[in-house]
Amino acid sequence: MLRFFLACVLASGAVSAHAAVDADVWQVLQKAAIAARALSYQGIFVCQIGAQSKSVQITHMYSNKGEFARNVMLDGPPRELLSQGNDLVIYNQKNEKVIIEKRRGQNMFPAILPTNLESIKASYHLRSADVERVAGRQAQMLLLESKDDLRYSYRLWIDTEYGLLLKSVMYNKQNEIIETIAFSQIGLFNTAGLDWFQPKIDNKKNYVMEDEVETAVDNGSATVWTIKELPAGYRKVDQMIRMVHGNALPVTHMVFSDGLASVSLFIEPVSKGTKIKAGAKPIHNIVGNTSFYSSVTDGHQVTVVGEVPQATVAQIANAVVFKK
Amino acid sequence: MNEQISALIDDEMNAADAAHIITAIQSSSAAADAWHQYHLIGDAMRGTNALSAGFKQNLMDKLELEPTVLSPKPLLDHAAEVSPPNHKLPAAWSIAASFAAVMVVGWVALQQQTQSDNVLPTASVAQNAAAAAAIPAEYLLAHQATAPSGSTYYIQSVSYSE
Repeated sequence: MLRFFLACVLASGAVSAHAAVDADVWQVLQKAAIAARALSYQGIFVCQIGAQSKSVQITHMYSNKGEFARNVMLDGPPRELLSQGNDLVIYNQKNEKVIIEKRRGQNMFPAILPTNLESIKASYHLRSADVERVAGRQAQMLLLESKDDLRYSYRLWIDTEYGLLLKSVMYNKQNEIIETIAFSQIGLFNTAGLDWFQPKIDNKKNYVMEDEVETAVDNGSATVWTIKELPAGYRKVDQMIRMVHGNALPVTHMVFSDGLASVSLFIEPVSKGTKIKAGAKPIHNIVGNTSFYSSVTDGHQVTVVGEVPQATVAQIANAVVFKK
Repeated sequence: MNEQISALIDDEMNAADAAHIITAIQSSSAAADAWHQYHLIGDAMRGTNALSAGFKQNLMDKLELEPTVLSPKPLLDHAAEVSPPNHKLPAAWSIAASFAAVMVVGWVALQQQTQSDNVLPTASVAQNAAAAAAIPAEYLLAHQATAPSGSTYYIQSVSYSE
């Protein structure tokens, strides 16, 4: 399916990235969204947030068997990520153990863009900038700029030949860089075999499956709150009931997204078992690329976390209204 | 040899044709290691556990029937401060610990299970970066597990540890 999609996109335009006009610019971005999933490539990229920086070796393959990727962390504690489609398994080495974690394999660089760009078009402007060299490749720089103060903006460098996203820089309205992810080396990967798709196993270590966090489907009935006006461009993409470490009672967890940025909202009744984070005044923090807001209203703790500006988490928290 | 072991695990090889591989696995430690590795990879990718789905519940049901050891109790409010999270079954914790050790995949684990004091990965949350200090780790983890961003898995400000 993806291959078909890619073929269509590639065929649809001798899209000259150099002289991209408005509609074509979105076409370049569309191609980047698909290329990250439908091409086979191998390289090393560096991911930097604040003072933290990690090098990652990525091997990505798309074949008739599906999409496979292996990401090996080259800095810090040994860690490997193996994904097949949307299933991700992380091998996390901790002292004498290796913890195996199962996660959702989505939005991972360079596949940070959704294949459907409609929701992004509503909240961001896109225009082309210079052609620059990244990881030894010619790249078209695109500016994906937020239309308001409720999300961050991006500079994206896209390979003029393969359409692959080579570099992404996220910045706030003061033009301060919040997050940079960039290939330092990249090449196409020509293989049909999957012999590379396995973790490096250390027989001397214990392999332990992480306890799965219990989650349940939330049909939203019997709630004592309603969500009033959400920040522009955000819509609910997920809702569940889950346990949060250290809390005795289950918590309602909702996820809102504008297509690129995601925000989690947690609502829980304050009881003896609740770890109360906020007192009379709400707690409002920003660390690296993540904003946090927590307050207690009408016997409920409302907590919001996401890779968005502080105004957005505050607006989402304040959109929760309790029925009297 | 490793390809043949892999094929055997994946049911791509007739068991009758595999007699020599099984002999090799028994006699060669390298082949035995490969056998365990492939099972480990397969189990992890499929998310299957070594035990049946009902095992945990059965064990917990049996634990309910175990007599409770009565011992002097610390002051309640003090206990609330120091006790670790997920302490619903404090008396059964060491038993639950050995249960979790069974979950450890592979023969290495099975060997080590016979050793005493096999401490488990409890649900404690470690902050391995000062940067995360200002955001409660449990909510950040829940957010990242459900809605990962482009960099979440590469720069983990918090993670589970033992």
